[in-house]
Amino acid sequence: MLDSLLTPSTSSHMQTSATTFDHEDFLNHIFASAPWPSVDETHAPQPPPSDVFVDSRNQQIMMMPLSSHHQNDNVDGSSAHALYSGFSATGSRPFHIPQGSGGGPMHQQGQTQRQPQQQASASTDTGGTAVSPSQSRTKVRARRGQATDPHSIAERLRRERIAERMKALQELVPNGNKTDKASMLDEIIDYVKFLQLQVKVLSMSRLGGAAYVSSQSSEAGGSHGSASSAVAGGNQPTGNSNDGLTMTEHQVAKLMEEDMGSAMQYLQGKGLCLMPISLATAISTATSHTRNSLIPGAGDVGGRPSSSNLSGKTVQTMNTLKLNSNGNCMAEGSSSIAVKEAVSISKP
Amino acid sequence: MASADKPINTDVPEKDVFTLHFLQSLSNLRRQNTFNSPEKTNDRVKKIKKAAYVSMARAAGGTNRLWSRALLRRAAKENSKVVRFPRRKKRVTCLRRRRSNRRDPVEEEEAERLRNLVPGGGGMETSKLMEETAHYIKCLSMQVKVMQCLVDGLAPK
Repeated sequence: MLDSLLTPSTSSHMQTSATTFDHEDFLNHIFASAPWPSVDETHAPQPPPSDVFVDSRNQQIMMMPLSSHHQNDNVDGSSAHALYSGFSATGSRPFHIPQGSGGGPMHQQGQTQRQPQQQASASTDTGGTAVSPSQSRTKVRARRGQATDPHSIAERLRRERIAERMKALQELVPNGNKTDKASMLDEIIDYVKFLQLQVKVLSMSRLGGAAYVSSQSSEAGGSHGSASSAVAGGNQPTGNSNDGLTMTEHQVAKLMEEDMGSAMQYLQGKGLCLMPISLATAISTATSHTRNSLIPGAGDVGGRPSSSNLSGKTVQTMNTLKLNSNGNCMAEGSSSIAVKEAVSISKP
Repeated sequence: MASADKPINTDVPEKDVFTLHFLQSLSNLRRQNTFNSPEKTNDRVKKIKKAAYVSMARAAGGTNRLWSRALLRRAAKENSKVVRFPRRKKRVTCLRRRRSNRRDPVEEEEAERLRNLVPGGGGMETSKLMEETAHYIKCLSMQVKVMQCLVDGLAPK
């Protein structure tokens, strides 16, 4: 279809733009007429060569449909309609008139319609593409009432960055609803320590002999508490005297002052573990032991596969922690106090 | 300095990557002759722990993260191995900014503590440190999950 348009026609078909087109000419008119009505009249009478699309009008041709996209719908519709009907080789008259007559007013229409569009989109430039988003990227604009010297800007940026990352960390850490930055950092630090301790405990428990371990969070309640289950099998207990318990407690108290982790390690080395008092009381009520006396646990806990006996002394220095021990049910009767020791694990 | 940062990337690979690396390291450990003797359980514990950390570092992004680099370097030093990392150009600009950006002593003590915990935290400024911490926490929790699953799955009875 286009070939017919491209064939050079006789000059008899050539007329002014006001009336009829040539077959290859009307395309130019269609494309060129709308935004450039003045150009239209001057260029129209010239007979276009066979290579019609080579000249600079090419750009016009290409640009016209693009610019028409920016305009409003009805404007688009008319030019699109014009384009559409332009490709049919039938009467050129009907669509020229909306072109020619609409070319002038269409142009103005387009412009006026373009402006409210842009104003609606709240950009401040007139015509052309919007420049404002790129502007905000190149320069940091200071807010009202704040200094704009580079140091404070740098400080502000740095603080914003840190705040941003704190927010990301807040979601990771459980119990991260603290608004204070310092306490949030404390939580983060505790959580990292806890995770590292968990890795260590899990690597120990893979030996298949470790005791029950619960988390050591004394202040933070049960938020980090998760007990890793372990198999308590095959540990040979040795007798331990009552003094050893006191010594152990003192030792643990000393260790706890410096580092919880090392205290836990020490206890684990002895086959003991720490747990919050609330948990201990729960266990004790479950196993119907009283807290204050040393009770050999052998007889009472036959039903349970693994017994937990409470040591009689609660150490006052450790606020919410109690020494607890865990051992096999078969080995209980051997000692008068409820502390069992695991030989295989010694303190590193 | 750009006014807007790129979004922080703290993606962590899935569990199976971690599992793969960890199991590989465990099987390597098993091949050692001195491993299974019952007396030296302490060493065994330590080795397992170290294997856990190293495998975690490798799984979590190899040498792309500062903490994993520091971990691997530390581990390699103990084994007296030479580890080579590809040089990153970003280092220079980080060092240049260090002097002006590390102020604010209120949070610096906390940042100090964090630096002691997170491997490789000594040379970082605070914002970078927190980014590394976030990634480290994610990787640690993933590693813990993996190890927990293994323990539960392999425990007798």
